[in-house]
Amino acid sequence: MFRRLLLPVIFLTLGYGFWLSEEFKTIAAGVAVFLFGMISLEEGFKTFTGGTLEKILRKSTSNTPKSMLFGVVTTSIMQSSSLVSVITISFLSAGLLELTSAIGIIFGANLGTTTGAWLVAGFGLKVNLSAYAMPMLVFGVILMFQQARHLKGSGYVLAGLGFLFLGIHYMKEGFDTFGQGINLAEYAMTGYGGVFAFAGIGILATVVMQSSHATLVLTLTALAAQQISYENALAIAIGSNIGTTITAIIGALGSGVNGRRLAVAHLVFNLSTGLIAILGIFQLIIVVSWISSRLGITADNYTLQLAVFHSLFNIIGIIVMLPLMGLLVKLLEKLMPIEEPEIERPMYLNESLEEVPDAATEAVRNETIRLYDIAVDVITNGLSIQREVFQSGKKARYVIRKSKEVIDNDIEDLYERKIKALYGAIVEFIIHTRGGYAKGALKEELNALRGAGQHVVEAVKGVKHLRKNLLRALKSDNVYLIKEYNKLRFLIVRVLREIEASRSTPEGDTQVIPLQLDPLKLEIEEKINGISSGLDRSIRKNLVNVRSATSLMNDISYCKDTCWDLIEAGLVLFSSSNRVDQTAEQSVALDEHEIAAIIETPHGEPQP
Amino acid sequence: MSVKSLLEKLNILLSEEHREQLAKYKSLKKVLRALRREKAALKESLATTENEAARKDIDSRLKIVSAQRKKGLKVLKKLKSERNNKP
Repeated sequence: MFRRLLLPVIFLTLGYGFWLSEEFKTIAAGVAVFLFGMISLEEGFKTFTGGTLEKILRKSTSNTPKSMLFGVVTTSIMQSSSLVSVITISFLSAGLLELTSAIGIIFGANLGTTTGAWLVAGFGLKVNLSAYAMPMLVFGVILMFQQARHLKGSGYVLAGLGFLFLGIHYMKEGFDTFGQGINLAEYAMTGYGGVFAFAGIGILATVVMQSSHATLVLTLTALAAQQISYENALAIAIGSNIGTTITAIIGALGSGVNGRRLAVAHLVFNLSTGLIAILGIFQLIIVVSWISSRLGITADNYTLQLAVFHSLFNIIGIIVMLPLMGLLVKLLEKLMPIEEPEIERPMYLNESLEEVPDAATEAVRNETIRLYDIAVDVITNGLSIQREVFQSGKKARYVIRKSKEVIDNDIEDLYERKIKALYGAIVEFIIHTRGGYAKGALKEELNALRGAGQHVVEAVKGVKHLRKNLLRALKSDNVYLIKEYNKLRFLIVRVLREIEASRSTPEGDTQVIPLQLDPLKLEIEEKINGISSGLDRSIRKNLVNVRSATSLMNDISYCKDTCWDLIEAGLVLFSSSNRVDQTAEQSVALDEHEIAAIIETPHGEPQP
Repeated sequence: MSVKSLLEKLNILLSEEHREQLAKYKSLKKVLRALRREKAALKESLATTENEAARKDIDSRLKIVSAQRKKGLKVLKKLKSERNNKP
C-alpha cells in the first residue's frame, strides 16, 4: 500500500514544487542528473567486474582489516557503496567470501562513502564543476558508443562523473538563487528535537532517492548556500547513513540468506553508529571543531566540518562494532540459518533393510515407483500441463486441449532437487546392497530396477530439452508449430496414460503388461514417422522456417526417446510381481527394431 | 545308470540355477500359449470385420502378436537347447 502510494505522492509534490518555484525545479533537476550520473558510474564499473575487481577482492579480503580497507578504497574510488554491497553479496552467495569478511567490507564501505562528502565539500563547491562536466560528458558518450568493452565501460564512468558534476552544479545554482528569495534556515530547529526531525528527513530523502551520497551532496550544497543550519545538516548526515541501510534491506529481500544476513549486519552497524552520533552530537561537534582546527579548516567552513563529522562518527561506529563483530556473525548465523534446498529424500530405503535381501529389493522397487510418480509430475509440468488437468483421468486429447497456458516453472531445479537427488539415493542403496549380499535373481532384479530408474531420469531429461522450444512455440502465433508441438505433448501424455492404465489393472487379471504395451510402441513409431514426414511438407509449404523446423526435428527425437524411456521404465516397474513371469514376458516384448520391422511390412500381408 | 551319473542328475535337479531355468521355460510356454490364443482370436475377428479402420487396427495387433510369438519361440528354443546341453 505504502509503496503504491509513494510514487504518486512524490510526483504530486514535485509537480507542485515545480509550479511554485523555478529554483526548486533547478535543484530537483540537479538531484536527478546526479542520480543518473551515479547509475552511469555503477554501470561503467560493472563492466570491469568481469575479472579485475574479483581478483582484487579475493586477494584483499583474507582478514578483517584487509576487508575493511578494501571497502574503504573501492567505495572511495567508485563513490558507490551500493555497488560494493552488490558485489560483496554476490561473492558471499557464491561462497567465495566469509560472512566476517563481507561485514568487514561493508564497515569499510561506510567509511569510504564519507570521502564523497570530502570531495564535494573540499573541491566540488569551490570550483565551477560544469566546466569539467561538459567535456567529460562529450568524451564519455563517444566512448559509450565504442564496441570494446573496456572503452565502453570507461565511457560510462566518464559520463557518470560528468553527470555527477553537472548535478552538483545545478544543485548549487538552485540553492544560490533560492537563497535570494526564501531563507530555509528560518525553519532550523535546535536541540534534540531538531536532531531527530532532521535525521528523519535524512532517512526519508535517502530512501526516496535510493542514495545517501545524493542526500549528502544536497545537504552540502544547501549548507554552502546557508539554507540549512550546521547542526541540522549534521542530523541529516546521520539520517542518510541510516536510510542507506533501508535501501540495502529492500535490495536484500530478494537475495539468499547470506544477502539478508549482510543487510541485517549493515542495519545493525548503521543504526548503532547513528544512535551514538545522535546521542553524542553536541559532544561530537566540539571534537569536530577541534579536529578541524588541527587540520586547518576555518571555523566558518561548515561544509568541510560536515565531512569531518561524517568520517568521525563512522570511525567511532567501526571502533565500537569491530570487537562485537564475531558475536554479530554468530548471532546472524543462528537467527538466519542457511536453508537446505528441499531435496527429495527416500521414503522406503533405510539401512536396516540391507540385512534382508528380499525386503531391500522390494523397497528399491517401491522407491523407484515413487521416483516414476514424481517424474510424471515433473514431466507434465515441463509439458505445461496443469496437474489437475492431467489427474482428471480424461483422455490425452482432452488434456492437451485444456493445456494452452504456458507454465513457466523451473524444471531444471525440479530435476536437480527431486529426480536426481532421489535417483542418487536409490543407486547408492543398490550399490551397498548388491555389494553386500544380493546374488542371482535378486542381483538381476536390482540391476533391472536401477536401469528403470535411469530410464525415468532420461525421460525427464528428454522433456527438459524439449521444453525450451515447446514453450517458445506455445507463446508464438505460429498455428502450425503449436499443432506439431501439441502432437508431441499428446504422445507423451498418451504413454503416461497407458502405463497408468496398465499398472492399475486389478490383481489376478491375466493381462500381460510388457506385451500389452507393444501396440503403444507401434503407435508411437507410426505417429513419430507421421510428424517427421509432415515436417518436410511444411517446410516446402513455408508453414515453418528452417530454424524452427530443425528445432522441431530435434524435439521429435527427444519426444520419441522420452516415450521409449517411460515404457522401458514401466515394463520393469509395473509388470508381474512374479520375477520369473516378468522375465518371460520381457523376453517376448518387442524392441525398437522389431517394431520398425512391423511398420515396414505392408498392411494385409498374411501372418504366419 | 551308474551311481555317479545318478548323483549328477540329482544334483542338477536340486540346483537353484536349474530350478530357475525350468521355471522360466514353463512361464514362457504359458505366455506363448496366451499369445497363440490371442492370435487365433484376432484372425477370427479380422475375417468377420468389414470396417476398414477396424481391420487396419486388428491387422496391426495381429502383426505384433505374431512378432511376439516368433520372438518367444526363438527364446524357448534357446532355453531348450541350454537345458539339453547341460551335463
